[in-house]
Amino acid sequence: MWKWHSDSSRDGSGLWIFNKARWEMKATMMLALMLAAAAALRAEITVETARGDVRARHGVTESWTAVARGDVLKPNDSIRTGRESQAVIRVQGEEGTRTISLPGEVIVELSDIRELTQEELMLKLTMEKVRMAPSDWKTDELGVPGAAVVHGSDRSSGETPLENDLATGKLHLNGARVLFDNNLYSTCILRGMEVFRRYPALASSVPDRMMVADALARTGLKGEALAEYGAVSEMEGLSDRERAEVAARVKSLRR
Amino acid sequence: MDARRVGMASYGAAVADVREFNINPAGLVGMRDWDFTATTYLTPTSGEKGFVFHGLSFGKRIAERGALGLQYSPGTQVRFVVPPTITVPPGGTPTSSDRQLEYSEPFSLGLAYRLADEASLGIGARVRRERLTETLYELVIEDTIAYPVVTIDESEVTSWNLDAGLLIDVGEAVRLGLVGRNLLSLDDSTPNDTLSAYRLPDNAVGELSIAARPHRTVLLTAELTTELTGALGVEWNLGKGFALRGGAYLSEEERPAAYAMAAGVGWTYEFLELGASYLHFFDQTLRSGSGQAAAFDPAAIRTIDLSPYSSDRVQLSLKAMFGRVREQLAVIESVELGGAVYPSSASLFSVNPIGRAVIANVSDRPLQVKAAFFVDDFMDAPTQSPPVYLQPGQRVEVPLTAVFNERLDAITSLTVKDADVTVEASPAEQADDRYQTRLLIQGRNAWDGDVLTLRYFVTPDHPEVIRYSRDVLLQHRDSLAGAGGALEQFSRARVIFDAFAGNLVYVHDPRQSTDYVQYPAETLGLRGGDCDDLTVCFVSLLSSIGIATAFVDVLPPDRPEEGHIYLLFDTGLAPQFGASIAGNAKRYMVRKDRRGMETIWIPVETTVIAEGFERAWEKGAEEYFRDVEMALGLVKGWVRIVDIQ
Repeated sequence: MWKWHSDSSRDGSGLWIFNKARWEMKATMMLALMLAAAAALRAEITVETARGDVRARHGVTESWTAVARGDVLKPNDSIRTGRESQAVIRVQGEEGTRTISLPGEVIVELSDIRELTQEELMLKLTMEKVRMAPSDWKTDELGVPGAAVVHGSDRSSGETPLENDLATGKLHLNGARVLFDNNLYSTCILRGMEVFRRYPALASSVPDRMMVADALARTGLKGEALAEYGAVSEMEGLSDRERAEVAARVKSLRR
Repeated sequence: MDARRVGMASYGAAVADVREFNINPAGLVGMRDWDFTATTYLTPTSGEKGFVFHGLSFGKRIAERGALGLQYSPGTQVRFVVPPTITVPPGGTPTSSDRQLEYSEPFSLGLAYRLADEASLGIGARVRRERLTETLYELVIEDTIAYPVVTIDESEVTSWNLDAGLLIDVGEAVRLGLVGRNLLSLDDSTPNDTLSAYRLPDNAVGELSIAARPHRTVLLTAELTTELTGALGVEWNLGKGFALRGGAYLSEEERPAAYAMAAGVGWTYEFLELGASYLHFFDQTLRSGSGQAAAFDPAAIRTIDLSPYSSDRVQLSLKAMFGRVREQLAVIESVELGGAVYPSSASLFSVNPIGRAVIANVSDRPLQVKAAFFVDDFMDAPTQSPPVYLQPGQRVEVPLTAVFNERLDAITSLTVKDADVTVEASPAEQADDRYQTRLLIQGRNAWDGDVLTLRYFVTPDHPEVIRYSRDVLLQHRDSLAGAGGALEQFSRARVIFDAFAGNLVYVHDPRQSTDYVQYPAETLGLRGGDCDDLTVCFVSLLSSIGIATAFVDVLPPDRPEEGHIYLLFDTGLAPQFGASIAGNAKRYMVRKDRRGMETIWIPVETTVIAEGFERAWEKGAEEYFRDVEMALGLVKGWVRIVDIQ
C-alpha cells in the first residue's frame, strides 16, 4: 500500500511513495533541532545594568515599560535604550552565559541573541526569496478556489498610511550592530535585512549595508556577501573611500 | 504479397492473421475477429508504370478456435509473350506464330483450427490458372490472291493446389512452423500438349520455419524448404506502433545464393496497420521484363510472385481489424488504489492518479492500450487513461484518474463502493480485461489531515459566503468609509472577523478535528465550529472580498498533539507602512503577494474568536513569532504556509 504524504518521494508516474526510512531520519533531525530551539526559548535573560532610559517590550504588546537592574526578561521580549543610556544584559542558556553590553539608542530583539547554523541562515535567506513559490505538488495541479468578487469603493481614495518612523528603524539597525559586535552574525544579517525591508530609506545607509555584507562574509556565505558588496558598490553617493573599502573587501573575499 | 511478408522474407512462422495466410494457413488463428487487407505494388525496374492492384484478403474467426481466410489476388499473375516466329517451309507458304503464357493464382482459401494453446493447424487451397494462347498467321494463296489467315489456339487448365501448415509454440519466445505445399493438386481439365510442356511445377514441397523473440521488441525468423530455398528475416518494433523490417531471400539455384534482400516499415494505429517494403534482386538478368525465349523455363517458377522472372518491387499494404474481441490481448495484473477518496478534494483525481494498474500485453503484436476507472453512481462515465503502447509481453504501470460527479458531495459518512478498472487494447471495441476492486469514499466533510487539501473546503464563491461578507460590509459601510485608502483591506478583514466573532462560537470537535471539516456555508449555518472550521470559514469570507489568505499549519515534532492551523491574511500594505497598523513589528510579517510585491500579512488565531479581532490577531502573532521566528519552524519544516490563491 502506498500513501500520499508530503515527506514522500515522487516517482516518474506522478504517484507518491512513502519513504519510511527517510521520514524517520527527518523526524529525528527535526526533533533534535526542536530541542535545540526549545533550549533557546528557555534562555534566562537578566538585566545586569540599566543606566538612563532603558525599557522593555513584552512579546507582541505595543507598550514599552522601564526596566531596572535584576529584572528578568523573556526571549520574545525587546529591549531599548535611550540617548546617553546604557544597559548590560546577561543571557544564560544551554550554550553558556553571554553578557551583552547595549550602548545608547538601540533596540535589540532578545530572540536575536543566539547563533544560527549556516544551514539555518541559508534556509532563512532562501525562504525570503521564495516565500510565495508553490509550496508543494498539490498547488500546481488544479485551480484552487479563488476570489470571485471584489466589493467596495475605489481603494485609491483615502488617507495616506502612516510610514514607519525612521528613527525607530535606526535604533533597530544600531541593535543589529550590537549583534555584529558580539559575533552574532546570522541574526545581525536577518535583522538588518528586515529593517531595510521595513524602512527602505535606511537601505541606502552605506555603513549598515557594509555591516550586513561583512556579516555575510564572516558566516562564510561568500556568494551572498559578494552580491551584497556588489549592491553596495552600485549605490549612489558612495564616497571614494567607501568605494575603495568595498573593492578591497571584494578582492579579499575572492582571494 | 503483403508488405510485411515482403519485408521480412521469412514468414512461415510469423503468420499471425489473414496477411499471407497462404504461406502458412495455421497462422489464421492469430486473428482477433475480422481482418481485412489490401495490397498493391510497383515494379520500378520492369518498365511498367504505375501501381498494380495486388489483392484483397478477408479473414474471420469462427467460434473460439477456428478461423477462415479468403484471398482474391488478381495481381498474383505473370504473363510471358513469345514474339512472332516466321517459318518458311521449303516449297510452302510462310507462317508466323506467337505464343502467350499466363500464370495466375487469383483465389485462395484457408482454414485454421487451434488444436491447443501451443499448436494450431491449417489447410489452404490455391486456385491456379495456366493459360496458353497461340496465334498462327498463315499466308493462304488462292487464285493468285494471297491473304492471311489467323488461327487462335487456346488451352487453359485450372488446378486446385492444397497446402497444410502447422504452428507450434515452443516456450514463450519461439514458434515453429511446418508447411507442406502442393500436397494435392487437382486439374479441372487436360491441357493440350503445348501447354503441358509449359506447366508450372506442382511437386510437393516441405518447409520448416522458426520465429524467435530474443527481446520483446525483436522478432527473428528463418525458413528452409526441401528445394533448398530459404529466407531470413527480422522485425524490430520501435514503439509508438512503428516497426522496421528486413530480410534476405536464399536459394541454392540462384547466384548469388542470397539472391534478394528486402527492407520495410510498418505503422500500427488503432485498428489500422500500414506497411511498405522494397524488394531488390541482385541479379537482374531475367528480371527486366523481357528476355530470350530460350532462357524461359517454367519449371523454375515455384511461386508466381517470387520467381526468377520477378522484378524489384515496392509493396504497399493496408490491414484493418474489426469486430469483437475474442482473444484477450491485454490483462490487468494488479490494481492499487492510493487510499480513500475525500469528496472535498476529489477533483484532484481528474489530474492526480487515484491509483494505478499494471497492464500486460499478452498478445504477440504491439498494442495500444487504455485503462479506464469507473465507480457506478459517482461517475458519469469511465475515465480513461492516456493510451500507452505495449510491445508483446511488455507490462506497464498505468495511472488511473477519475472524474467524479456531484453526487459524491451527498455522501455524509464512510462508504464502500465497487470500482471497476477495465483495459481496452486497440483495435478492440470492448474491454479485454476487467478488474473490480473496493473503493473507500469518505463523507463529504472528511479531511485527510493534510493542510494542502484543506483549501478545497474553502469556497469563496458559495452564495452563502458571498452574501454574508457582503451583508457585513454593507452594515459597516460608514465606518469603512472612514478607514479607506491603503488600510481598507485591513479594516474590512477586521470588520468581517468581528461580525463573524459575534455570531459564531468556537467548539471543540468531538469527532477529532483533523478528520472532519465543515464547509463555510455549514459553519455559518450552524454558527460555530472548531479551529479548522472557523479558519476555513474566515479564509473563505476574506477570499470572497478579494483578500489573499494563507493557512499556517503547525505540527511540532515533539508535540504532534498540539498540531494546529491558523491563518494569515494580506493587508495589502507595503512594509514601510507597518506603523499604520502596529507599533510592534512582531505583530505582522512581510511576505510577497501573488504579484511578487512585498506586503504586510497578519496572523489570526480563530480559536479565540469570542475575544474579538484584536485578541485573535495578538494570539496569532504570538504563535507565529514563537513558532516561526524563534523556533524556526518554517525553516525546519514543521510549520507550513499554504497560500490560498
